[in-house]
Amino acid sequence: MTTLILLGTALALLQNGLVVGAILFSLGLIGILSRRNLIVMFLSAELMLQGISVSLVAWSRYHGDFGGHVLVIFVLSVAACEAAIALVFVLQAFTRTGRLDSAAWQTLREATLDRSVDHEIPSLDTSTPSFPRLTPAGRSPDTDEHAGMQRDHV
Amino acid sequence: MTPSFLLVLVPLLPLLAALATVIGGRRLGPRAHLPAVVGIAAAAVVALSLLVVTARSRGSAETPRPVDMVTTLWQWATVDDAYAPAHDSHAAVPGTAVGEDAYSARPFSISIAMRLDPLTATMLVIITSVGLLVAIYSIGYMHDDPGYPRFFALVAMFVFSMSMLVAASNFLLVYVFWEAVGACSYLLIGFWFQKPEAAKAAKKAFLVNRIGDFGLAVGVFLLWLTYGTLDFHDTLSPDGTILPGILGQTRLADVSGYVGGIVGTAICLLLLLAACGKSAQLPLHVWLPDAMEGPTPASALIHAATMVTAGVYLVARSAPLFMACPGALVTVSIIGTTTALVAALIGTVQNDLKRVLAYSTISQLGYMFACLGTGTLLGFTAAIFHLLTHAFFKALLFLGAGSVMHSMGGVIDMRRFGGLRKLMPITATTFLIGSLALAGIAPFAGFFSKDEILASLHSKGWPDVHHSTENGHHAMIPELPSALSHSGTMHDVGYRGVSNYDNHSSSHQTSDVVGLDALNQPAVWKALFWMALVTAGLTAFYTFRAVFMTFTGPLRIPDEAGDHAHESPSVMTTPLLILAIPATFIGFILFTTDGLAHFLAATPSFTTPSIVKTATASVFHWDLAIQGTLAAALGIVIAAVGHLGRRSDGPQLERWLGPVRPFLEHRMFIDQLYAAVIVKPIEAIAFLAAIFDRSFIDRSVRFVAHLPLALGSVVRQLQSGLLQRYALAGVIGVLAIIVFLAWRL
Repeated sequence: MTTLILLGTALALLQNGLVVGAILFSLGLIGILSRRNLIVMFLSAELMLQGISVSLVAWSRYHGDFGGHVLVIFVLSVAACEAAIALVFVLQAFTRTGRLDSAAWQTLREATLDRSVDHEIPSLDTSTPSFPRLTPAGRSPDTDEHAGMQRDHV
Repeated sequence: MTPSFLLVLVPLLPLLAALATVIGGRRLGPRAHLPAVVGIAAAAVVALSLLVVTARSRGSAETPRPVDMVTTLWQWATVDDAYAPAHDSHAAVPGTAVGEDAYSARPFSISIAMRLDPLTATMLVIITSVGLLVAIYSIGYMHDDPGYPRFFALVAMFVFSMSMLVAASNFLLVYVFWEAVGACSYLLIGFWFQKPEAAKAAKKAFLVNRIGDFGLAVGVFLLWLTYGTLDFHDTLSPDGTILPGILGQTRLADVSGYVGGIVGTAICLLLLLAACGKSAQLPLHVWLPDAMEGPTPASALIHAATMVTAGVYLVARSAPLFMACPGALVTVSIIGTTTALVAALIGTVQNDLKRVLAYSTISQLGYMFACLGTGTLLGFTAAIFHLLTHAFFKALLFLGAGSVMHSMGGVIDMRRFGGLRKLMPITATTFLIGSLALAGIAPFAGFFSKDEILASLHSKGWPDVHHSTENGHHAMIPELPSALSHSGTMHDVGYRGVSNYDNHSSSHQTSDVVGLDALNQPAVWKALFWMALVTAGLTAFYTFRAVFMTFTGPLRIPDEAGDHAHESPSVMTTPLLILAIPATFIGFILFTTDGLAHFLAATPSFTTPSIVKTATASVFHWDLAIQGTLAAALGIVIAAVGHLGRRSDGPQLERWLGPVRPFLEHRMFIDQLYAAVIVKPIEAIAFLAAIFDRSFIDRSVRFVAHLPLALGSVVRQLQSGLLQRYALAGVIGVLAIIVFLAWRL
């Protein structure tokens, strides 16, 4: 009887873990399929990864085998490295296009295809922001032009 | 220095000269002629020594024996058991009884073998000596030409190929060098390839020769099928038995060694086709007049003296094959005589000096074929005799024409210059000597060889006259060289063989399938003799017409000559003077001593019993000589009436020909006939083929090329550049795999 109860709680625990993992995975999947922001897409991918990790832990505990736990630790560390690399790519993509929109990269499509437009991203405000300025007062400081031309130390 | 080493040396030296010129020609610059001249000169010396060696080993005049020295350098392309005929093939091919073992399986191997016999030695001397003089002449003629080294490399290459052609002891080697001289000829005709006419003429020569080469190729195939070997000489098989070569002593001694009937006639006619192509005989003569676009020394060497005689050489070499087929023999004569007459007729109205000489060459080659076809020892030796004298006097005439052309600034139309005898005395004198030799005037070379040709034709047309006046040919036999005179016993076999051969050939005449043998009758030969005699008159006419138009009358020089219309430099006139010596004396010497005829009679090909029994004593035929001289004199007189002392651009004698003249001037419309019958239909077929190619083949290829494009344009839609779509595709793919696996489970 006790074994049955124990088994029942173990099964329930596995079930809960798997449901949470599945929810995390699905959220990540929905995120990656529906969002265009590169960083959010990356976060969604991480979410899917964590969903898998949760289900791994759940199975591991159910079987009483620590292999799954070890694997999850590995996954976390690898995900940390991968996050660094992925963020570098995102950063590079941003510097190229000036935006985080993944649809900006659809210029890589076949030349014969039309550009697909669902929501036009509002164009960036490229005007220089005007900051409040103090009124100039006093006298202008002395500047040694000769000293400005040379370095006095390396 | 063994004869075989010397024999290899003759082609080897010009080959080395050619290679040296190819490698170092540009570095030698204006001295690029040195390797060729030195190499050919050395080869000429060696060839002369070979002539002496051959003459000595011929034996004494009382007991001559055939000379046949074969040097096998190496074996090439050996295939074991290539010739394995069926057992009943002996019965299927009539007249092949050279031992049963001749028809056992045997390997196909091409022996790179060279032979030395009187015919080869004579040809080698002609080739190298004329080649040497032409090479020396070219130093003057070709100087300052941008292709100077190329010219001498080609001349040396030609001398190599031609001497290999006449020294080869294997039909396949003959074929190889037959093509090689054709290639040299092509390259030299098209030497000034920037000139469209020269390029066209070279192409024409090559294509027309191709027809003849086709005949030679098929002929060689048939020879292999019929005789099971391609060697001229007998060879030892590994088990010690003798494999009889096609022109070897064994087969020559055998009365039924040669195949007659339809197979033999086919072989002979195919060889004749080859000879017609190379020697510019009637249906295939059209390339030679156009070949005059090449440099004049090349014309003199290749298209007058040596290469065009390759056909004569081939027929003379294959004489025993022809002897088995009387129909093929008479065809040779008919083609030769017709060519001689037609070419002489066309030559009478040509105004281009070189073209006159070209038609004269065709005509003289026709003479040689005419007497080859008589199938008598006299005929064969007369052909080679005429080949020899013709090589010298025609080379002299061509080089003289080149000298005129050189000083006239490249103009060769006789109507535009005249009276050059004061301006260029050496050229005029030597040209006159050459013309006298060509016309056949008494002491000059051509007279004697032409007399022998007429005599050989006459003896076929009027056999009774010759038998009665010449003491009967049976009495002559013991003095004759024979393949069978190695020993007394062989002698007996030989004479029994002669009688056997008679029965044999007569049986073939009855079983003549082709129907050509019917032509072999005195009436035909009489007609051929008269045609030859008329040709002799025409020859004298057109030759002296050219002489009178060029060298007599008031002095006229075309504008192209400028101020350097003068006698050619001594490097050009010296060869002319040297060539004038044989053109004057060689006929008289060789005829009176009868040296050449006796010498050539030791050639193995001429020692087959069927030829030996036709031998007659050499008699000077006064009646024929008078007839020939009268014809020539008449020609010269008519030419003198029309042209001597006249302005060469004045009204010409030939205007009296009326409507015949345009016919002859357009070369009997043979070129136009070929254009209409062969060239235009082929062009039409090519046009249709081009349409088919573009509209059907190209389209189907393009259709195939469009298939992947169409497929690609469908798949291409997937590459949208949108990351979400790619991700979705991945998800769908994974789902599909899962569903599939779930289904399987």
